[in-house]
Amino acid sequence: MLSPRWRKVLRDVWLHKARTVLVVAAIAVGIVGAGAVLDTWSLVRRVTTAEFDASLPASATLLTDSIDQALLVRVRAMPALADAQARRTVTASVRTRNGSQAAMLFATDDFARNRVGVLKPEQGEWPPRDGSIVIESSSVEYSAVQLGDSLSTQFGDRDAAALRVSGITRDVGLAPGWMEHIVYAFVTQATLRQLGAPASLNELQILVKNRSMNREAVRRVAADVKSLVESTGRAVSDVAVPEPGRHVHAAQIGSLLFTQGAFGVLALLLSGILVVNLISAMLAGQLREIGIMKAIGARPAQIAAMYLAVALVLGLVASAIAIPIAAVIGRWYAQFTADLLNFDISGFAIPSSVILLQLGVGALLPVVAATIPVVKGSRIGVNDALRDLGISFTAGTSGAWLSKTGSIARPFLLSLRNAFRRRQRMALTLVTLSTGGAVYLGAVNLRAAIVASVDMLFAVQPFDMSVRLAEPHAPDSVEAVVRGVAGVARAEAWAGARAILRRNDGSVGDAFPIAAPPAATTLLVPRIVDGRWMLPSDTNALVVNRRLLSEEPTMMVGSRVTLLIAGMASEWTVVGAVETGPSLAAYAARETIAPMVGSGRVSAVVVSGSVNGAAADFELLQRLRSSLADAGFPIQSGQLMTQQRSVIEDHLLMVAGFLGSMSLLMIVVGGLGLASTMSLAVLERTREIGVMRAIGARHRSIVAIVQIEGLVIALLSWLVALPLSLPMSVILGRAFGRVMLEVPVILVPETSGVLVWLAVVVGVSVVACAWPAFRAMRVPVARALAYE
Amino acid sequence: MIVLDRVTKTYPGTAGPFTALADVSLSISSAEFVVVVGQSGSGKSTLLSLLAGIDRPSSGAVQVGGTRVDALSERAMSEWRGMAVGIVFQFFQLLPTLTSAENVMLPMDFARTWPSRERRDRAMSLLARLGVADQADKLPSTLSGGQQQRVAVARALANAPSVLLADEPTGNLDSKTAQSMLELLGSLAQEGQTVVMVTHERDAQRLASRTIQLADGRVVSETHA
Repeated sequence: MLSPRWRKVLRDVWLHKARTVLVVAAIAVGIVGAGAVLDTWSLVRRVTTAEFDASLPASATLLTDSIDQALLVRVRAMPALADAQARRTVTASVRTRNGSQAAMLFATDDFARNRVGVLKPEQGEWPPRDGSIVIESSSVEYSAVQLGDSLSTQFGDRDAAALRVSGITRDVGLAPGWMEHIVYAFVTQATLRQLGAPASLNELQILVKNRSMNREAVRRVAADVKSLVESTGRAVSDVAVPEPGRHVHAAQIGSLLFTQGAFGVLALLLSGILVVNLISAMLAGQLREIGIMKAIGARPAQIAAMYLAVALVLGLVASAIAIPIAAVIGRWYAQFTADLLNFDISGFAIPSSVILLQLGVGALLPVVAATIPVVKGSRIGVNDALRDLGISFTAGTSGAWLSKTGSIARPFLLSLRNAFRRRQRMALTLVTLSTGGAVYLGAVNLRAAIVASVDMLFAVQPFDMSVRLAEPHAPDSVEAVVRGVAGVARAEAWAGARAILRRNDGSVGDAFPIAAPPAATTLLVPRIVDGRWMLPSDTNALVVNRRLLSEEPTMMVGSRVTLLIAGMASEWTVVGAVETGPSLAAYAARETIAPMVGSGRVSAVVVSGSVNGAAADFELLQRLRSSLADAGFPIQSGQLMTQQRSVIEDHLLMVAGFLGSMSLLMIVVGGLGLASTMSLAVLERTREIGVMRAIGARHRSIVAIVQIEGLVIALLSWLVALPLSLPMSVILGRAFGRVMLEVPVILVPETSGVLVWLAVVVGVSVVACAWPAFRAMRVPVARALAYE
Repeated sequence: MIVLDRVTKTYPGTAGPFTALADVSLSISSAEFVVVVGQSGSGKSTLLSLLAGIDRPSSGAVQVGGTRVDALSERAMSEWRGMAVGIVFQFFQLLPTLTSAENVMLPMDFARTWPSRERRDRAMSLLARLGVADQADKLPSTLSGGQQQRVAVARALANAPSVLLADEPTGNLDSKTAQSMLELLGSLAQEGQTVVMVTHERDAQRLASRTIQLADGRVVSETHA
């Protein structure tokens, strides 16, 4: 049987249900925030580690000429390799319910012998048969195709072929198709031939034996393979060595989860502050009873144990509510995050250690938060406790200046004074609300910075579309045809190549693309961050972008570097560095690159239209297709810059959206904080309210006093959030720069963001104060005056 | 039983320090029923607070049952209070979320004086002795003032304290109930319980073995029955 003191504890908790619910809600929100991120992190980590490892991702991929069985046998026999396989990747287009979409078709030497980058069949047939196509899982929704559909597939300007969608399979090594705006699919070499596409295998995927090798060691193995391939008379145009064991987007997702985890912990801390507020108020309401208990012999430790036990029980109740909610949100968010990485979390459970951790934190957070107020409250002298009259007000600074403002109505004046009566509690409420505001405004600034960055990226390439030719042709001939098409304002034929840096120690870096417009281009004007842009008089001059420079710091402006282009080494001088976005890129003159890779011919054209608008652009692209085909320059693919922009923006703004969503959590915590503050204010002032009602205050006056007091705090938090958003913008901007793309830090929030936040805090205040105001209005005068 | 030796208690105030008790010395024997009277501000409640160990003198010594109360630490003072004194307040001060019996059991719970399975029986026996056994399982808010004060007395006696201290126990009762309460305290004294009561009730002096009158923090008279 429970002893009387524990019965008192339970009955007090039950008696003050509203306050109990607030405390539980405060703790629960913190646990939901931090727990959901923790669940997501643990699930994503578990899935990516297990699934990605199980897929045996290629340690390196080499691009070369036609790979035959004899070469594969020799490569597979290399002692450092566990396996090798060959495939061909072809860019095509498919016509779906969503219109014409870019497609990437993969064909391998033997789908049945898929031992590198193992694919995971999900539905239908595997492997694809001749004349059928298997869609990669992440492209299914984007392409809106279903099993059994007939998919019109076209390579370049060849005749389209109807391929039956016979299966769905997942390739965890690919970035999701929906994100890349590409339909990934698998076909046989015979199907490629049916489409008129080159079918010979040209990608050599290798898997090293020792999977604990670091990137440099894998690079050395890849260099050996490259030598072997070259010894057969083939040229190796590209060697890509990804970070071993890490998914292509793992760093971004890791940083993203870390940043969100930080906000989850922040939400937990803010809910801890809320608990401090609530427990302090609970103790304030219990002071007289504490005094009585001490008078009849209770020791401070016994009193403290009673209230800490309350905190523990409330923490356990909150955990019981929050942990399942966090698991649901965490699972949903983990699937969302896994989608970004092209994984499926089905069949994976949240680790029990993570659930136990949440339970531990949930149970102990309120105990830790309550310790100081409980110890302080339990040590109060008996006389002081018995004499406690509730809230008091000494005419201090706030009272003095407010009294002098004679034009303010009394009820409003009372609200203003009330707001400042419990300054510590008000400060804690301000902290929670204004932190939410700062995160929100920081996210708004980040979004604006991203849009500005994307604007900048596209402003430096003022063309509307790019066209890739099926075969290379002389640039002057191509430009002449294109410029003759109605609606073309400017056009330039660009060359392009993939290059590999050969470092001084003989090792090679990752392949990167070189875009090669004419030296006197007007359709590429990037922002120079160091050095200069290329000049027509330059010889082998290279301009690198900042991303490439950060990957390969030796490619600084003024340095001489050796590049492997189309298997040939050449010396280059880095003359400038530019800002062109998150991908590795370099720029050189067409006049220099074209002779190296295509005997002076080019296979890309960029075009600026004379009429703006998506419809006009689309029509122009169609005209270009037909005019170029008529002139004997069939095109392989065409892309509108608006499409490309949406791909980049989708990637970048999604991250900003995630960060912004964390502010919602803070708003909930802040709203609960305000609701608790106002509930406690009403509770503490029940007697005052009774007096006001006794002397004639109407219901609406009482409600207005409470609501205005809440609004005063909310507006103060809005004001505090404005300067607080400056460091938050810097933090978010830098975090984003590390994860995705360096963006300019925007410190001054957009007016619309500031106004939206104002509306949000006013709304939160009105909602948070509604119940306390209602309670204040409903308190009977007699009971209010008798309240102790 | 109780010895106060040159006790002074001063409180700080905005208009300068206020002396509630000034150089008070007195002694009270076991089983005495002492009534302390005086006007408001005379120092009656301060005296009781010092005897109960809920306040400390600014100077002088307070000894109760051989224990130098003012020298005890806060923790020791709480323990001592639970065992050695029972306090009855003017406003009853029963815990509103506990029943009468639970209120009486609470001091036993804190002091662990009786085995837990015996506490309810003892509480019931005390409530019966004070005539409110039928109210044992009711919450204080459902009891009359007199009933609440009887429960409060039962609670004060829970740990069989050597001294019962009552601070205006009849101040919140009607005259008839107040009279009954005074008689109850008188009977307790007759049964050997040391009782010190602060009151304004003139009738109380009739029942007391000694009346101490305070004025301006000093003992101005002592009357033995």
